[in-house]
Order: sequence, then C-alpha cells, then structure tokens
Amino acid sequence: MEEIKIGVYVCWCGTNIAKMVDVDQVVDQIKFLPDVAVARNYKYMCSDPGQDMIIRDIKQHHLNRVVVAACSPRIHELTFRKALAKAGLNPMMFQMANIREQVAWVHTDREKATKKAVSLVHAAINRVKWHESLDKRTIEVNPATLVIGGGVAGMSAALEIANAGKQVYLVEKSKKLGGYAAQLDLTFPHFYSARQLIKPMIRHVEDHKNIRIFKPMQINQIFGYMGNFQSTLQLANGDETKLKFGNIIVATGLQPFDPSEITSYNYGKLPDVVTSLEFEKMLAKGRIETCEGKEPKNVAIIHCVGSRNANYHEYCSRTCCMTALKFANQIRSALPESNIFDLYADMRSFGKGCEELYTQTSRKNVIFLRFDQQNGLPEIRSTNGEEAVSMLIEFTEQFSKEQVEVPADLVILMVAMESHADAKDISHIAGISMCGNSFFIEKHPKLDPVATTSDGVFIVGTCQAPKDIPDSISQAKAAAARVLATIHVGTIEVDVITATVNEDICCGCQTCVSVCPYKAISFNKEKGVSEVNEILCKGCGTCGSTCPTGAIRSRHFTDQQILSQIQGLLSPDNKFEKM
Amino acid sequence: MAERNERPKIKLAVYWGAACGGCCVSVLDVHEKLFDVVANADLVFWPIALDIKYNDVEAMPDQDIDVTLFNGAIRNSENKHMARLLRQKTKILVAYGSCAHLGGIPGLANLSTKTEIFDRIYKESESTNNPNHTRPLEKYEVKEGTLTLPEFFNDVRTLAQTVDVDYYLPGCPPQTERLLEVFMAIVSGDELPPRGKVLGATDKSQCDECPRKKSDKKTIKEFHRPWEINDDGETCFLEQGVLCMGPATRSGCGHRCIEVNAPCRGCYGPAPDVIDPGAKMMSSVATMIDGDTSETIEKILENVIDPAGYFYRFSMPASILRRKIPENLQAQAPLQK
Ligand SMILES: Cc1cc2nc3c(=O)[nH]c(=O)nc-3n(C[C@H](O)[C@H](O)[C@H](O)COP(=O)(O)OP(=O)(O)OC[C@H]3O[C@@H](n4cnc5c(N)ncnc54)[C@H](O)[C@@H]3O)c2cc1C
Ligand code: SF4
Ligand code: SF4
Ligand code: SF4
Ligand code: SF4
Ligand code: SF4
Ligand code: SF4
Repeated sequence: MEEIKIGVYVCWCGTNIAKMVDVDQVVDQIKFLPDVAVARNYKYMCSDPGQDMIIRDIKQHHLNRVVVAACSPRIHELTFRKALAKAGLNPMMFQMANIREQVAWVHTDREKATKKAVSLVHAAINRVKWHESLDKRTIEVNPATLVIGGGVAGMSAALEIANAGKQVYLVEKSKKLGGYAAQLDLTFPHFYSARQLIKPMIRHVEDHKNIRIFKPMQINQIFGYMGNFQSTLQLANGDETKLKFGNIIVATGLQPFDPSEITSYNYGKLPDVVTSLEFEKMLAKGRIETCEGKEPKNVAIIHCVGSRNANYHEYCSRTCCMTALKFANQIRSALPESNIFDLYADMRSFGKGCEELYTQTSRKNVIFLRFDQQNGLPEIRSTNGEEAVSMLIEFTEQFSKEQVEVPADLVILMVAMESHADAKDISHIAGISMCGNSFFIEKHPKLDPVATTSDGVFIVGTCQAPKDIPDSISQAKAAAARVLATIHVGTIEVDVITATVNEDICCGCQTCVSVCPYKAISFNKEKGVSEVNEILCKGCGTCGSTCPTGAIRSRHFTDQQILSQIQGLLSPDNKFEKM
Repeated sequence: MAERNERPKIKLAVYWGAACGGCCVSVLDVHEKLFDVVANADLVFWPIALDIKYNDVEAMPDQDIDVTLFNGAIRNSENKHMARLLRQKTKILVAYGSCAHLGGIPGLANLSTKTEIFDRIYKESESTNNPNHTRPLEKYEVKEGTLTLPEFFNDVRTLAQTVDVDYYLPGCPPQTERLLEVFMAIVSGDELPPRGKVLGATDKSQCDECPRKKSDKKTIKEFHRPWEINDDGETCFLEQGVLCMGPATRSGCGHRCIEVNAPCRGCYGPAPDVIDPGAKMMSSVATMIDGDTSETIEKILENVIDPAGYFYRFSMPASILRRKIPENLQAQAPLQK
C-alpha cells in the first residue's frame, strides 16, 4: 500500500473560528501525528489563496489525503473536494472537521474549545486514512414526467413542462381536477373569482396534447431511480398501463382539520357552526344562511381552529387569517346590516396586498376581538331559543382582560390545514421523508425548497406546508424548471457513495432486502447472495447497519472509517482490533 | 501414511488458561484418530493428560515447541505468565476455542468489575457463609514460608490481547474434525495460510450452509425462547422470532446446534471483516423489530432476555465494549495490551 501523506489545514474563518480556537495550538498538537505530512493554519481556507495552498502542497509534498478544519461540510465540502480534483487527487480523499458551528460558535471557554477542536481534527485525520477513491457515474434521463395530484400546484407544473414540449403523466385521485382551489368562491386579497382562475386552467390541462391525465387513479408503487422511474397503473377497465418517466413531481396537497375534536366549539352538535371550507361552498352557492334558511344577524369567525395549539397542530396554517378577512368582506357585502365578529389570536397578514386587506376590512365595521389560546379556547353554546340569538361565544378578551359574550347565529371555524391522509403512503411510494407534522421535507429548507433527498423527486404546493395559491404555483413552476433542466442536460451524474455486497462473505440471510427504503437490494437466488443496484442506492447506510456478516460495505461510511473517527475523538491510542 | 511417518514428529503442546476443560476434551474427542496425531506429534505438555510441570516448560529452549493449542482466556496472572512463556517456547501459537479467541464464556465476567465479582462471591451470594470476611490474598506468610495465589485481574482478556497469536481455531469447543484438518495441514508441511487467520472455519456465516428455509421476511413482532415456539423444524429461527446468532457467526461447525433444532449462539465468532459481532447482530436485529412506536418496540424488546449475555455470549472481551472499568479508573486512559 502506498504511504499515507495527509495535509491538515486549520481555518481561522476570519475571526469566526480564531477568536474561540487557538488555531496555532491545534496545528502544533496534530502535526506530529503519524502520517501527517503538512499542517498549516490560514485566515480563509475557502478563498482562492487558501485552495491554492492545498493544491500546491498536494503537488509539492505528494499528499494523498487532505483534512480541512473549518466550517460545516454542508457549506464547503464540495469546494475543497473540487480543489483536490484540480490537483489530480480523487475528491473523496478528503475529510472536513467542523470547528466553527460545532466548536467556535457554541463555546465560551477558549481552552476547552481548542481541546475539542484538536479532538475533532484528530478524528478527521484518523478517518481520512481509511478513505478510498470513488468515481462518479453518468446515466440518461427519461424526458417524461409524472405529476401526482391535480390541484393548482400539480396542474401548473404539468402545464409548464407540457408547454416546453415534454410529455407529462398527471395522476389525480379524485374524479375532478382543481383540488381545493376549485372549491373556493373568491380569493384573497384581490377577490378574483376562483372559478374564473381555475376553470380555464383545467380546460387547458385537459386539452393539452402533451398531458395524459389519469383520473380517478392512484399510484401504488414506483420503481427505479432518478432519470429512470417506472410504474404500472391499474385502469378502470381492468387493463394495466406501464409508464416510464425521469422525474416525479408530488403535488398531493393537504386537508382541512376536523374540528369536532375541539369540544368547546361543539362542531357537529350545533348545526350553525361551520368550517371555512363549508362556508366557501355556501358562498359559491350564492346565499349566506343558517341551517333554517334564515339570514344570520350575527356572524362570528374564529381563527386558529386546530392551529398554533400544542394539542392539535403547533404550526400556523398560514392562509386562514386572510381567508377570514375575505369572508368578513364577503359577508359585509351580502349582509350590510349584520354584526360581524372576528375572534382572532394573532392577525397574520404577511402576503403581498394582505396587510392592506386587513386595514380595508377594519374600516368595514367588523369587530375584531382577540383571545389567547393559552387562556383556554372560546366556548360556543346554544341559547336553546331563550334569546334572540341562537348561540353565545364566551371568552376572555385579551386587551381588556374582560370576560365577554359574543352573540352569533352563524359561526365560521377557520380550521387548520393538515397533511393529507395519503401523505404517509405517498412518502413510501415516492421515497420522500415527512416532518413531525407529516408534511413532506424539502432537500434544504433554505437553499433547495422544492427538491427532496430523493433525486428526481420534487414536492410542490401544500403537500410541503400550508400556503396560498400564488406560493403553490411558484413552487410548481420552480420544480418544472428543475425538471426541464435535467431533461435538457439529458444525463445526470450519480454519486457512488453506495453500498456494495461482498459476495464472498454474504450468507444470503436476506435481512438487508426489506430494509432498503429505495428498494435497491434484491436477492439473487442462483448465487445465494444479495445484490445492490448501485444506481438505485442512495447510500443511506441502512443495509450496512443491518447486514450481520459485514458483507455490505457502505462506501465512504465503512465501519472502519467510523470507528477510527470515534477512536480519534475519544483516545489517540485505543485501537479497535479486528478479531 | 508411511511417508508422513518418515518426517520428524512435531512437538505439540496443549494448555488451558481460564477454561472449562471442554476444549481439552475436544482434543481427546479425536478418538481413534488420536493415533494419527500421536503418529505425527509428540505431546510435550498437556496438563489435563500428562504430568509435565511448568518448570519443565521453562527449561525448554525457545521456539522448541512446534505448535501450542492454547485454550481458555486470560483471567489471572498465571494465565498471562503461561501465555507469555508458551509464546516464547512455541513456533505456532494457536488460540484454540472461543475463550482464547474472543474471551468466551468467562469473558462475560467483564460485565462486572473485580470488586463486584469478589463482593458477590465472598459476601453477597445466597450460599456465602463467610463470617470472617475472608478474601483471597495473593501472598500469605506461614511459618513454612510464603504462600501465593495468582493475581485476579479486573477483566478477562483474549489470548491475542496478551501475546501475539499465529492462528485462531474458533468454537466452544472447536469441532474436532476441524482440529484434525488443521493439524494435518500443519504436519503435512504444506504452505501455511497467512498469520493471523482464522482456521477451521469458512469466511461465510452459518446461514449460508444452514438447511433451514429463509426469506426476506425477517420481521419480528415478538421474541420467543426456543421452547416457547412450535418449531416446524424447517423455517429459519429468526423468522419464527427466535434469536439465532447464525447470520453473524462463521460457519465451520457444521451448524451443529441448528442440526439439533437449537439456534446458533455464535461460538465460532464473527465473519472476517466484523469488528464487533455483538454490535453487528444487535444492529441487525434492531432493523427486524416490527413496531413503530417506542412503546411497542420496548415491549418487543422486553422479551430479549439478557441481551448482553446473548449477543456477546462469546465475545465480550474482544468487543468494543470490552469490560467494565473500575470506578476509580474510569477517567484514565484505556488499558493497553
Ligand atoms: C377554505 C379555504 C380557503 C382558501 N382561500 C384561498 C384564497 O382565497 N387564496 C389563496 O391563494 N389560497 C386560498 N386557499 C389555499 C389554496 O386552496 C391552496 O393554496 C391550494 O389549493 C393548494 O393547491 P395544491 O395543488 O397544493 O393542493 P390541493 O388543492 O389540495 O390539490 C391536491 C390534489 O391532489 C390530489 N391528490 C391527493 N392525494 C393524491 C394521491 N394519493 N394521488 C393522486 N392525487 C392525489 C387531490 O385530490 C387534489 O386534487 C384556501 C384554502 C382553503 C381550504
Ligand atoms: S393564518 Fe391566522 S388563523 Fe390561520 S393559523 Fe395562522 S394565525 Fe391562525
Ligand atoms: S445504502 Fe443500502 S439501504 Fe441505503 S439505499 Fe443503498 S442499498 Fe438501500
Ligand atoms: S444482510 Fe448481509 S449477509 Fe445477509 S443477505 Fe444481505 S448482504 Fe448478505
Ligand atoms: S471455548 Fe468453550 S469449551 Fe473451550 S474452554 Fe472455553 S468454554 Fe470451554
Ligand atoms: S438465522 Fe439461524 S436459522 Fe436462520 S438461516 Fe441463519 S443460521 Fe439458519
Ligand atoms: S451452531 Fe453456532 S453455537 Fe452452535 S457450534 Fe456452531 S457456531 Fe457454535
């Protein structure tokens, strides 16, 4: 084996790292470790001069491994890997120690912080010794796209891609396209008619020569990997269709929260307590009325029903405040004489034109009353016909701190938006993860909001989080652009940080087969061993930790690499011996 | 046979450290093949069978013994002394059996410290009757002179953690046929495998040869002990919810436990690249557990009786966990070879 020569570079990150970590001392402590050929510190390792320093050293000192102690690998691992490649070294012969986020930014004792930095660098040095060269591989992209969900988000994505001349398969679970947007009357903040926005869009989708619609239809399984997915659909007439596609856009939306579990609102028991969606339907029919068909004299709107409350959903559902204002305006136009009470917890009017809508609404004789969910929820009770009004809502008003009673003939509950009941199934089928609230997780919440950790799978619209129509459409078009870009390039590079099976050791126990979340492993009956499809494999490591014989190696995350790293972290001399 | 007889006989020693005696008996189990052994080897030291004293071994020239089969673990200073002495006197030192290989059954004592073990034995156990609080002493003066006992170490070590080992012959005890094969290979004078190798076992694990039917349906809703199931005699034990160490254990024993409808306990040790077989098997079993809330998972796990004793039955001293460190030493650097 060739002699290992490691270059170690400790970054100051300006003063970011240097003020909490004694970078000179770090270098002094690690430079005598076995196999360390060069050790330096520098003000900005990621800068051109910093990278050039590494490149020069690789050439001059024949380095074959590099460790940079700096910021998070999420930020600059790629930068330094590229520098290695420039110097002719395989980019995987690199390891980063995070001494900024994990040390400088979180500690206050310089001496201890320096000690921790030394341990982390030591761990990285230990690990990099076991690194192996890995190559990238190129595969072709199928130009068709599967869109799951035919709401505004799914339709917008489909149209964008179809208009660019590429085939789209649109799968909708229900009988109709349009999703929730098709069930609305007017839209905030400009009061455009939802029907006039959505109808032409649906027609356009239905007539498009590049869009093939399957509805009502559900996808049960998707095989394959970015660029080469496939699925079989069971048609209503009993036939099957096999679809092949290169990318997937998931646009399955969300669903309104069922408020019957909040007892104080008596939803389901008091017939004139309705949800926002039921009220939209009432508006679309053109008449606001109580269950007895009378015009309500007093209308109350209650915000945050099931939102921003640890008992139901902790998050804000984002669209209900503005929908409530929209309702207040629509009620005011239809029933000029009515009393409108808006019971809110906080008014969230952040969107473009939304704060203006709030101001405008407050001039229309709408009575805004604030409650605090911490002090209990408002109680809606029936007057049992003993008073002129059919219901009373009792709560503590936040500003006056007084217990108040609001009369109501109709109560609209602004119900939370929660993840779709199908979300879990879809997450398995498409290989995407769910957050604690069961919405799909984006690849990076800031830098990559429509991609997912599964390459070639994108999430758009409200399946990712509650949002309004323009935000849903923006995401849809962003994802369409991403898809079109991969189709345009035609090929993609796949990482080879994959798992491999050592056939000489695999005993055929098949424990690994069912654990792979990407269905990359299959059992070869003839050979009696399991096999990993390296294009499907995402290198998640699950099979590596499952395989009891050690036949599976998770490349770049081998037991040896991880244990050496831990060993470097804990104690410089304690060896994990092979038995 | 004749040709072999012309070759000078090799000098063979068999020694036990912290052992149960089973390994020595397994050597005797060669039965009539013992004649083959004796035809090819002079037994120069074998405490279970021959009256040869430590002094006699000390008097031998260095490297005089060709092969030593060392069974048993290193529990005390006597074991360690003999390991070093035999290393010095032997050309090929073989760690014979699970105890020498991985620490074996005595190695499970590493879950307790020396103090805890002594407290249990000399103070707390149900059958202890020790009103004078007597404890073993390493030295005791009597008028005839000084009496000594070996020092009981805090933890059990493997042979390889004590001296350099040439080969390993795993098993509790090793399958006698394997011993014969290895022995014959050594005496035949053929080129020997590279040092440090495990002999008498394959690189694959038990499931490879195991005749039971296995599939990818290794999901466990409930763990059972072997007697709790209505074993169909055909289906993989794991798939019936019975822990079987087979997948994490080298084959070579002829799956002799499974043959008699008992799951493998792992005495042949891990496959070649595995650093810690207990951890590997636990990690693997963890993925088989079929429960999605922590409560259900905990409930399922309750039925894994004595997990440390199960997963590390033969390998605690050789594992990453290795041993419990006495409290007063916990902050210090780990013990070295
Ligand atoms: C009462 C109410 C009022 C609103 N008012 C406004 C407003 O005034 N202005 C505004 O901008 N926004 C408003 N919104 C928000 C707006 O409705 C959403 O932003 C929009 O509907 C999101 O579209 P989407 O395509 O992401 O999801 P959805 O509309 O939920 O569409 C998802 C589609 O996917 C389908 N689907 C689900 N699961 C599957 C599956 N497994 N396979 C195939 N298909 C599946 C569904 O059937 C549905 O057709 C309001 C929402 C509500 C509830
Ligand atoms: S948008 Fe308004 S009503 Fe809806 S959850 Fe957020 S704060 Fe509550
Ligand atoms: S590492 Fe293993 S489990 Fe993970 S994707 Fe690859 S094959 Fe599947
Ligand atoms: S878990 Fe390991 S040994 Fe078992 S079949 Fe899979 S690769 Fe082979
Ligand atoms: S390996 Fe087993 S048979 Fe051999 S000495 Fe140890 S406990 Fe006894
Ligand atoms: S786990 Fe045990 S019973 Fe199952 S195949 Fe492997 S050795 Fe046989
Ligand atoms: S089946 Fe397992 S426990 Fe039994 S002898 Fe073989 S290796 Fe040892």
